[in-house]
Amino acid sequence: MRARAVLLGALSFAVILAAWEIVSRAGLISPFFISRPTLIAAAIGQSARSGDLAQSVGVTLAEFGAGFGAAIVVGLALGVAAGWFSVVEYAIDPFIWFVYSAPLIAFYPLFVLWLGLGPGTVIAISFLLSVTPITVNTLTGIRNVSPTLQVAARSFGARPQDVLWKVVLPASVPMIAAGLRLGIGRALTGVVIAELFVPSGGLGSSIAYNGGLLRTTEMLASLMVIVVLGVLCTQALSAVESHFDSWRTGPGL
Amino acid sequence: MRNVAHGFPRRRSVKREGGSPAFAALKGRATIGVSAVALFLAAWEIAPRLGIVDPFFTSLPSRVLLAGVEVLRSGTLAHDVLVSLTEFGSGFALALAVAIPLGLLLGAFPTLRDLIDPPVMALYATPQLALLPIFVLWLGIGMGSKIAVVFLGAAIPVVVNTIAGVRQVDRSLVLAARAFCATRRDVFVRVILPAALPAVMVGIRLGVSRAILGVVVAEMYVSQNGIGNQIMRLGSAFRVDRLLVYVLLVSVFGLAMTTLVRRLEERLA
Repeated sequence: MRARAVLLGALSFAVILAAWEIVSRAGLISPFFISRPTLIAAAIGQSARSGDLAQSVGVTLAEFGAGFGAAIVVGLALGVAAGWFSVVEYAIDPFIWFVYSAPLIAFYPLFVLWLGLGPGTVIAISFLLSVTPITVNTLTGIRNVSPTLQVAARSFGARPQDVLWKVVLPASVPMIAAGLRLGIGRALTGVVIAELFVPSGGLGSSIAYNGGLLRTTEMLASLMVIVVLGVLCTQALSAVESHFDSWRTGPGL
Repeated sequence: MRNVAHGFPRRRSVKREGGSPAFAALKGRATIGVSAVALFLAAWEIAPRLGIVDPFFTSLPSRVLLAGVEVLRSGTLAHDVLVSLTEFGSGFALALAVAIPLGLLLGAFPTLRDLIDPPVMALYATPQLALLPIFVLWLGIGMGSKIAVVFLGAAIPVVVNTIAGVRQVDRSLVLAARAFCATRRDVFVRVILPAALPAVMVGIRLGVSRAILGVVVAEMYVSQNGIGNQIMRLGSAFRVDRLLVYVLLVSVFGLAMTTLVRRLEERLA
């Protein structure tokens, strides 16, 4: 059953690539608009050999790591504080909603003024986009932990910090993980959008640069690398998630 | 479980007997929230005036308020709002029209799902806004490229959540319906569709925020009018006060749309 799914998935990609190649070669759609897979593969191969690929992937990953890393630290800290103390939750609530619903990329001219035209701005936008789902999910996860569990722990002599570390946080893992999963997508989105506007040497900048020169093949090559990065990030998170949630024995609770 | 992001969960408000402690809690919440915002605004107003930060970089709340009045009076606002709303509306409607049937179809037929799911998941994991320069190449700098971005941004989460919703339907419900002689069509319309609805709504809610970000980013990237275009112009001119007016406008719209979908969710659930 699993093998069948993998086979069908591979088949689907193969059909898409083959159709793309044929349509482009037959001239049904001009290669100027859609390029073709073989050209894109060649472009990726060439930039891999020249070292450009490693460099732009490195820049994008470094920005992503800094933005998402900061968002994890701040988001978890804020979320735990707000989940534990109602006052904190009420105080940060309006700000969370603003940051969540504002089109943060609109602030990039300001960030350029404050942080310069480069990685600082990209990291700031990526951080702001990804910090909200992490905070809110952590907060909600902690709030929704069954009070019975907490009371039981207290009655067996657990101190408040024991309840937090040994009961509340482990029980909130699924919610926190869902927040991280949303956050990882938004952090990557933030990096790529910001790079479209701010030349930082990353993959998004490369798309915008080649797009400006109408070099479709190079543009699509960078895009393909971004797709692969996105898939790898999501897979990595699933692995981490099942590691931290492995104590859970069954559904329900 | 599949990789489906859940979005912001609905807050569970604690219902107490009698209602008055709950009301007091709500009042406490509002008081603290309002004072936190007031404190923030006060610091923002005072710090530039004392010369701690340069008002050129941060503007002041009072100036933003004045700029808001100016923008409302200027009359260009209506046109930009109309353009952006048209792009958002047509892209989003198109996304719903395609994504919900596609999601239902893929949820119901496993073979089809195995075939189409991998490319959809790859798109789901990718920041779809990275496709923006390609859409501009294909569809030009007008509304077309913005509608395409909105469409893709909204359609992907709706498809993914609809598939998950259909797959999560309790099998025993379907079997029970079949046992009572329901036709396949009855099962689909009366069992699967209602049971999948909450997941579809979560997808729509995620799609709304992606679509709004998509419109603004696409208009900022390249356009001739619209809210994003204004934001870009004001940003390049460092008119921080007016820039913030437009940003607040989009935020309020986003908040209103999300609240609307959330209300719908609660009514349907």
